[in-house]
Amino acid sequence: MIDWREFDHNPVSHSAAHHLTSIQQLLEEQGYARVSDVARKLGITRGSVSVTLKGLRQRGLVVEDDHKHLGLSEEGLRIARGIHTKRILFQSFLSEHLGLPSNLAEQDACKVEHLVSDVTAEALALFLESRSVESKEREAQVHSLEGRIKDGSVDIFPSDRVQTLSSELEKNSSSTHEDNDDE
Amino acid sequence: MSNNYSRAEAIQRLNELLAEEMEASMRYLHLSTLVQGIDRLVIQKVLKENHEETIEHAEQVSEKIIQIGGAPSPKINLELTGEKCTGIEALQSALLFEQAALDGYREFLECVEGSGDVILEEFARQQVAIESEHVSELQMLLGESHLGGE
Repeated sequence: MIDWREFDHNPVSHSAAHHLTSIQQLLEEQGYARVSDVARKLGITRGSVSVTLKGLRQRGLVVEDDHKHLGLSEEGLRIARGIHTKRILFQSFLSEHLGLPSNLAEQDACKVEHLVSDVTAEALALFLESRSVESKEREAQVHSLEGRIKDGSVDIFPSDRVQTLSSELEKNSSSTHEDNDDE
Repeated sequence: MSNNYSRAEAIQRLNELLAEEMEASMRYLHLSTLVQGIDRLVIQKVLKENHEETIEHAEQVSEKIIQIGGAPSPKINLELTGEKCTGIEALQSALLFEQAALDGYREFLECVEGSGDVILEEFARQQVAIESEHVSELQMLLGESHLGGE
């Protein structure tokens, strides 16, 4: 039986997930991230950001230099990339395959991005990559992939392959949004 | 920074500062109930005094927002955990959000400085001074004070 209480002990809380991905996005967009930038991006107070970052710093996921510029450690970056990739994969699945409106797809993807396992995310990436594959074949691929992940014989999530797929999906999604805006 | 700020921007920034103060007051109150250990009585008193002071600050910021034609509308999104802490840990947490408030007032001062809006400029300067004192007091209690520091 699933012990749902274990979900509370998830290594990254929803709030922490947003802090990590915000820092990553800010670094990509403007080359630096400060507490005030993260607070504005998340629409919360600097006080809240500072308190959350304290825990993330203690866990070695976030670093801060003498100028109060924030950065991510190797592990922090891996977690942030993983969460972002999961969000894109789920968002794409919900909007393109279940036909949900994009804002609902984005919201629901945001709810699960930090909770879902790497195996599920890899399987979802596989599904999105090979839509034409017969279901039994796909199932076998997923099982094989799951086994490989458990053996540790595939890249840590997100692998380069999955990240490339996620970037393509993100690009497609933003160009679709732009087209819709033009209309 | 720019001295061509608009009133709307000032109101938005003051609302952000109001949210900082309101959250800080709740955090102080929360910390005062969680603090444990030999120094509980002393630290609890400090935290409760700071709780009351931050409420006063929130009132002052609210009044300033109204004075310049806005409405106090802070966005508060507070997550408080119920974990016990030592006096030192409580003060370390307090230092984090006091420093954050100080940085917010400093940024606000940069925004209004030289704008010709003497009332707001004076208010921002005064708040920076008060928050700096708070931060220094907490640093001294923690033995982290830096003479001649920020």
